[in-house]
Amino acid sequence: MIPELLKALPLTLAITFTAMIVGFCLALIATTFRVRRVPVISHLADLYVSYARSVPVVLQLFVAFYGLPLVVGLLEIEDFVSPTVAAMLGLSFYHGGYLSEVMRPAYLAVDRGQHDAADSLGYTFRQKLTRVLGPQAVHIALPGYGNSIIYLIHNVALVMYIGAADVMATAHLVMERDYNQYQFETYLVLAVIYALLCLAAWLVVRFFELRSSKFAPRAAPAKATIMASV
Amino acid sequence: MFDSEVLLPDLWDILGAVPMTLLMALAIFVFSTIVGSLFAMVEYRRITVLRELVVAYKVAFKGVPMVIVIFLAYYGLPPALQFLAALVGIEFNGHLTPNWVTLIVALTACVAAFQAEVVKGALNSFDTGQADAAYSLGYKRSQLFRRVMLPQVIVAAIPDLANSFMVIMKALSLGFAIEVVDIFAQSQLTAALNFYYLEAFLIAVVIYMVIAYIVTHGADRVEAALRART
Repeated sequence: MIPELLKALPLTLAITFTAMIVGFCLALIATTFRVRRVPVISHLADLYVSYARSVPVVLQLFVAFYGLPLVVGLLEIEDFVSPTVAAMLGLSFYHGGYLSEVMRPAYLAVDRGQHDAADSLGYTFRQKLTRVLGPQAVHIALPGYGNSIIYLIHNVALVMYIGAADVMATAHLVMERDYNQYQFETYLVLAVIYALLCLAAWLVVRFFELRSSKFAPRAAPAKATIMASV
Repeated sequence: MFDSEVLLPDLWDILGAVPMTLLMALAIFVFSTIVGSLFAMVEYRRITVLRELVVAYKVAFKGVPMVIVIFLAYYGLPPALQFLAALVGIEFNGHLTPNWVTLIVALTACVAAFQAEVVKGALNSFDTGQADAAYSLGYKRSQLFRRVMLPQVIVAAIPDLANSFMVIMKALSLGFAIEVVDIFAQSQLTAALNFYYLEAFLIAVVIYMVIAYIVTHGADRVEAALRART
């Protein structure tokens, strides 16, 4: 059973990494607009973040699954939306919104004096970000980022509901083939697989956390969001 | 493709599931806060063996996706209950356990791990100088807890508690896999009757966002009011 499940792992990982990368870009854009307060766009960014954070991920996935073909049709592109693509995009939106709520506090948590010093030296917003605030904010944001990755991995388990053939869906097929005898055992195996994935992600983030603490000054410990995200 | 005429009847249908969802969320919130507070007290007081057990519990339930915990409870809880009842000598068919009970148990187990973290954070935010002051005034330990610590700890925990209530609301949406009807499941059922999927899901999105808005702003109000008094 386990080799069969592992055969579906590449798809799970592909969805995870796509959501990680696209979500990161979305989060950067959303956070920029939320800290800079451009009139209309900032409100849209706020709305987006509250959508991503207050709506269940299953529902977000279904909205992506039924909504994307509509958007694609309006733009008159050929319909490319398969369950996998919908899962990738839906989770990207979710992850972007969640991550924005990690980045913005980190940006604001950098000592107020650093903002003022950069402003008084005439740095542009981009210079201020890349030379002064960015390096410090990264250090503050890393624990929260690690959490968000772990929740993303958790939520990839939900993509089977819109029909993507990931590990969970394969497990269901395997269970049904065995006349549903070993359901509890199969879910235990799944639990172990997901726990190991989370452990791997956590170790990677932890490595960077230790590394960045060597370079950053002893900043106040950031309050990472500790709540789960479903 | 998008039909606005079904929006209103759908809205009434889906609103019908809101009270039940809120009730279940409230039950899970209360139970998980109680369990989480016990865990937090174990860690705060540094009770030797129990402390390691609590840490192991938290690692286990944070590493495994909630869907999998729900499925494990769905297949594992009825036999376990039957076994326990047989030990005490009661004849009880475990498979008669209603699904919503299973869901409440599973989510309580999951959320308790996070609630423990919230309560621990609130306890740690308590200034120990005040404990010294209270002792020097001749307070007993129970008096210190009730009169000095508790009022401050509760206020400190309110934002996180509001957040965790929203997480529970969202986590209930996973209950549709084991046939518990909440807002999301109701939107799916409604959509299945008339095939307007996107419309029903968008209504569910709006309902979730409105509830999140009410909960967070209500919590802010309560916190501001309580902070003024203490």
